[in-house]
Amino acid sequence: MSATATERELTMTLDGEAVGFRAGETIYQVAQRTKKSIPTLCYDERLEAFGACRLCVVEVDGVKAPVASCTTKATAGMVVRTDSPIIEKYRKTLLELVVSENREVDVSPLRGFASQEFTTLVDRYGARTGRFKGRQSGTSNKTDDNPFILRDYDLCISCYRCVRVCAEQEGDYAITMMNRGFGTQITTEFNGRLKDSACTFCGQCVQTCPTGALADKKALRAADLPGEIAKTRTICPYCGVGCSVDLLTKGDRLIGVQPAMDGPANQGALCIKGQFAFDFVQHDDRLKKPLVRQPDGSFKETEWDEALDLAAAGFRRSLKEHGRRSIYGIASGRAPHEAAYSMQKFIRAGFGTHYIDNCSRA
Amino acid sequence: MSAHAAPSTADLVARWRDEPAPLLPLLHALHDRDGFLSEDALRAVSQALRIPLADLFGTVTFYHHFSREPGGLNKPRICTGNVCCLHGGNELLAALKSQGATAMPCAGRCDEPVPVLRGHEQLVGTSATSLAAKPTPLPAPNPGGCEECIFESIREPGRATLEGYRRTGGYEALSKAVREMTPTQLLALVTESKLAGRGGAGFPTGVKWQAVADAPGQPKSIVCNADEGEPGCFKDRAIMDYDPHALLEGMALAGFATGAPRGFIYLRYEYPETFRILERAIAEAEKAGLLGVNILGGVFNFTIHLRRGAGAYICGEEGSLLNSLEGKHPFPRNKPPFPVTHGFENLPTAVNNVETLASVPPIVRKGAAWYRGLGRNAHAGTKLISLSGDIQHPGNYEVPIGLPLKTLLHDWAGGPQTGRTIQAVTMAGLSGGFLAGDALDCTLDEPSIRGKGSFLGAGGIIVFDDSRDMVAAAHAAMEFFAHESCGKCFPCRIGTQRLTERLNGEAGPSDLAAWTQEVRDIGTVMRATSACGLGMAAPFVTDSLLKFFPEQVDNYVVSKEPNNR
Repeated sequence: MSATATERELTMTLDGEAVGFRAGETIYQVAQRTKKSIPTLCYDERLEAFGACRLCVVEVDGVKAPVASCTTKATAGMVVRTDSPIIEKYRKTLLELVVSENREVDVSPLRGFASQEFTTLVDRYGARTGRFKGRQSGTSNKTDDNPFILRDYDLCISCYRCVRVCAEQEGDYAITMMNRGFGTQITTEFNGRLKDSACTFCGQCVQTCPTGALADKKALRAADLPGEIAKTRTICPYCGVGCSVDLLTKGDRLIGVQPAMDGPANQGALCIKGQFAFDFVQHDDRLKKPLVRQPDGSFKETEWDEALDLAAAGFRRSLKEHGRRSIYGIASGRAPHEAAYSMQKFIRAGFGTHYIDNCSRA
Repeated sequence: MSAHAAPSTADLVARWRDEPAPLLPLLHALHDRDGFLSEDALRAVSQALRIPLADLFGTVTFYHHFSREPGGLNKPRICTGNVCCLHGGNELLAALKSQGATAMPCAGRCDEPVPVLRGHEQLVGTSATSLAAKPTPLPAPNPGGCEECIFESIREPGRATLEGYRRTGGYEALSKAVREMTPTQLLALVTESKLAGRGGAGFPTGVKWQAVADAPGQPKSIVCNADEGEPGCFKDRAIMDYDPHALLEGMALAGFATGAPRGFIYLRYEYPETFRILERAIAEAEKAGLLGVNILGGVFNFTIHLRRGAGAYICGEEGSLLNSLEGKHPFPRNKPPFPVTHGFENLPTAVNNVETLASVPPIVRKGAAWYRGLGRNAHAGTKLISLSGDIQHPGNYEVPIGLPLKTLLHDWAGGPQTGRTIQAVTMAGLSGGFLAGDALDCTLDEPSIRGKGSFLGAGGIIVFDDSRDMVAAAHAAMEFFAHESCGKCFPCRIGTQRLTERLNGEAGPSDLAAWTQEVRDIGTVMRATSACGLGMAAPFVTDSLLKFFPEQVDNYVVSKEPNNR
């Protein structure tokens, strides 16, 4: 009740229009809600506003210099302009400067979820002018031999989204910034390899990177595969959390996974399995039929009816010879609710034991 | 060498773990013991202080003077700042290369170049054979015969000791405040004096203290910004070396006024002797009951903790300083909120410069009207000016605010060397860029200097005579800002680098119009959009270069000739 009243009382002027806002909202958040398109590079709505890229600067009446809208709270009566010619000129100059520090602007969308942010903004502002030439910042790490994350820092613009997502979202604190100023280098403890660091290869740094400097090595394997990239929304089949993912495919080939930023359970987060462990789906070694162990230890391919009969016989034998406490069921975390329910019913009613668990608890 | 065994890492961790602001002193203890910061040392610190190892590693690499290589602490670091490179800093660096010498940015000894840091010592000299440890130059008696506030008694022998300080009224102000005044009365007095921040920002001290006093939350803190990193500034060093108790007394008064029970002095790394002087002074004051609990037998408690930086200009920016003190990565903080409500450990904090705090005891003793009357043309009080470069008598001068610049340069400091004329001076150390020509007809106060397109700031003035190449001077200045840019905000991180490259020919258009347009556009976007004062101020250098020395810029860009006359 009182919150609604407050909401109605607080208004500001945004590009000439009166807009209501909630106490605590930043100018950028208000602008987002009213469908303004303020450019950013260091912003990720899941993270604490940082104020590094300065692209989101806006003019505020009575304030001499433009302010970063992402870190400035809206106040009642504030008069803000988000896209005056002078502000747009600053943004273009900033983007020209950023273009000048990188090896290239255009990168494959397979690099990661946010990898097109930079190139999109550069085109929106016509910032491929070739001005401000000079030394490039960041040095790609070509020796890190991990199979998941490409560390292509020639494309890094030091927005620190990777550092912050690792700390604030994942809680791993694996990524850091070494040195300072133009010499800033994103790296890990002691400038080492990812696998010697606290990294869990969750891939969130890859997915938030706005330039593709951190990139999905597994998805990039399909860069030369013909066909358009299609995205299919689904739920990660691994554990019980139910993370929303977009499966990337070309034709009938699964080529990568990206987290859904609007997934209610994960909000853009995944773990190493959901992010990178999908090769089994179309792997040559994948089992397509049940196997039965032979007396000599080898396996023989068979049909489901025969396999299930054999398994049932084995259960009966154990029950008869060793009693109900000899049976213990572990349901797969990848099983849906109905299957998990059937599993516990099967163990409890079928054998008279409560020795039933689920692998997601481990 | 000491006969004692070196302390174990566990001993050092135990010594510091439960102290406030423990990271920097613990790192220094390990750095001093081993001569560098080893991987083992960082792992131990990470565990003891519960700082993620990657964060700690990144933070250590931010600071210029933490060495990660064995033997690094004992390798000479030579100042190649703007003034020292006029006095052979680069040649000295070359001469000491065989000893593993590296360059360091301005180390605050511009009145007696060239400083060299080695181990725990600062040496000065202009050749490898003349290097010697020397005390900080004592400010000369006021050449204008003006009444002083801060330097009034600094030349008394023994002033740095408690006994010497007390001989000329030392701690009388604290005694008066604690015994006869309420915090409200003290706040009113400081406000009436019109004392304003002498670190350069000029914010009214009384208003700041009032805000801290009014803000909810305890314990509050007084943080003395003794980082003095601005090139061409060495005034705080003179105060701390010759009058350390004035600073301590000023901090205690600030604590009394605001209700803060603790204070921190954040001292720049490059002042090792100053660290020892302050350490001694704090111990003396504590022993005499002037700091600690029940000060002067009353109910006021105030403890001062001395912390040493590790080489980062940005740590003179208050948000960075507070982050550094807290053991975090020293990026500036987004404002608001301001330190008066959310400062050290997110609690109310007054961050004040050394000069500001040292001005308070005389103000309390002699009154607000007396202090206001020290200035000229309706300006209140005095300002310390660090004067260096091509001038006959470099050094620190306490000037009445409003004194004509030319009076200081010519009448007080003897003017340029014989046969030379003054071509330009910097303002605010380097941050204000250059003043030259008619713009030198100004008075030393913010309104006058802002009217000329610069600012007085912390009061460093570097003189360049007519033999100097101003493009080279601008390059040295911009190289400093690029070296010291923290790397957080884009305009400063990239802009300082691109301007540096354009001033030394490394990159940039060879067409004059295109060169000028790029330099102006970078400057404009840095000034308008940078996140802190470093990036906002750095373009003063290029803007003033273009304004006052267009012919030198033409000559440099078009014919690629040095401007040596």
